[in-house]
Amino acid sequence: MMEFVVTYRPLFDLICIYSILALSQYVALRAGLFSLATPGFASVGGYAGAILLKDTALGPVLSALGAILCGVAVGLFLSLPLAKLRGAFQSIATIGFVQIMVSLTLFAQPLTGGALGLNAIPKVATTGLLVAVVIALTALLAVINRSGIGRAFDAIRQDYTVAMSLGISVSRYFRYAFALSGAIGALGGCLLAYDTYSIQPDVFGFPMLVLIIAAVILGGRAIVAGPLVGTAFLIVLPEFIRPLADERLLLQGLLLIVVIIYLPQGIVDSLTQRWKLRRALTARSGEQRARAHGLPSA
Amino acid sequence: MLAQQLINGVVVGAVYALFSLGLTLVFGMHRILNLAHGAVFMWGAFIGYFAVTLGRLPLWAAFIAAVLGAGFVSVALELCVFRPLRRHQGDEFGTIVASIGANLILMDLAQQATNAQTLRFPFGIFPILFFNFLGMRVSLQQVVILAAVAIIVVGLLLFLFRTSLGSEARAVAVNEQTAMLLGVNPGLVYLTSFFIAGMLAGAAGVILGIAFNSVSYVMGEAVMLQAFVVIVLGGLGSVVGAVLSGILIGMIQTLTTAYISTELSDAVVFGLLFIVLLVRPSGFFAGVHTEHRVA
Repeated sequence: MMEFVVTYRPLFDLICIYSILALSQYVALRAGLFSLATPGFASVGGYAGAILLKDTALGPVLSALGAILCGVAVGLFLSLPLAKLRGAFQSIATIGFVQIMVSLTLFAQPLTGGALGLNAIPKVATTGLLVAVVIALTALLAVINRSGIGRAFDAIRQDYTVAMSLGISVSRYFRYAFALSGAIGALGGCLLAYDTYSIQPDVFGFPMLVLIIAAVILGGRAIVAGPLVGTAFLIVLPEFIRPLADERLLLQGLLLIVVIIYLPQGIVDSLTQRWKLRRALTARSGEQRARAHGLPSA
Repeated sequence: MLAQQLINGVVVGAVYALFSLGLTLVFGMHRILNLAHGAVFMWGAFIGYFAVTLGRLPLWAAFIAAVLGAGFVSVALELCVFRPLRRHQGDEFGTIVASIGANLILMDLAQQATNAQTLRFPFGIFPILFFNFLGMRVSLQQVVILAAVAIIVVGLLLFLFRTSLGSEARAVAVNEQTAMLLGVNPGLVYLTSFFIAGMLAGAAGVILGIAFNSVSYVMGEAVMLQAFVVIVLGGLGSVVGAVLSGILIGMIQTLTTAYISTELSDAVVFGLLFIVLLVRPSGFFAGVHTEHRVA
């Protein structure tokens, strides 16, 4: 048992970190944003957190807070043009943002170390801390989902025009979603830096974008457990079926296409919906049986 | 010196325009943002390269093979990805996600086929010849590129506005249901527009592959970034806008590379995208309501 834990601990840490990043993506998708900016936020948070921790005396907690603030600032900055726009424009601009972060971190060599990246970052993230952060974020998002903000997000995601006619300020909620997604994404990037000793610009590039979006699409976009299930599935599967590891990218691409066509709501949302439907059906058939037996209905 | 850089920029920009035309055409007609367009472009360059090296074809034949091949790759995307998605009532976000997946598959296949190496066309594949023109050096290659792009763009406009298939395509772009009632087969129109978009991307791929003498599986990504700015600046769905803003972006990029720095030119171009989205998201060459039309 101990051996198992020691062997798979890095893998488990990775699942936790990518779950946080997937939650950042989930917040955006849940609000009906077509944003794919999470790797960019993670880059901002990773570099900000690592630089603050290494070069200042702030300590890990304040450094992480600084990283989150940077993420919020960048999220709000992106929302300036993008909260007023919809659909394809948001995707175009956020994919561009991710690529620009890669080339900016490559360019700003004195600050970011260029292609070699930042190394010898103190490992301050423990597995316990990562698990605690995932649980806290999941709880926070579950609370937000049940609040007025969550209901507004639902309305906007399902029908933009209806949401407007209900008096929901779509651009304001888009701004909230960008800020929240930026904060969580930056935290995820920061913890990635604190867990893996070193970060390079291309860590936060297109492969990360694909993994995160695949995790959220596979898991589901409505219930908060969806991204967690999707991330765990995508990271664990190639580890246990070795031949798949070499074809990881091919597999992710195929999975994205097949899932979005045949299971567009993802695993968790589809299962929950089926379960609810079955419960409603059994309740109704119970009622009918009662009526057939001549019981007076009140 | 400045004029020389501008000429170089116009040539590069013309190729960007060629690439962006396919992207903006498919978006304008079918509301599909095909993020795998860069991979189609890259496959065009690969087909051209292998036609020259393995197939020992002359350059013009390799060019035609690459253009047709990229067209078929694009049609395969429509048949295997976008059509099943439409049949299952996929939304706009679904098409974006699916095209990301398709991009990944196409790039991974190319990476495995080439062991992630950068390939170079054989030396002297294109005659090296320079003209002196008003004190500037213009290569034969640049002249041929500009001429080819001009011919392709005029051909595209003629197709869209002077043929019956072109007007059927525009009818589907305006309203698919109405077009069906009028006897237009939308499935055929989808195939046609994807084929044309793929051919445009393939042509751009071979031209850039020869001009920069570098063909690799990641070459699509950088061009996609430029194309994003081009289609937003020109107005999503606008043919004329794509051509003009493609040339503009090419000039801006060449100038920043020449006078500021190579690494920053991406950031400058992206800053432009940000400003355009802030100031005039419908683009500068399209009317207010023409966003989802073609031309």
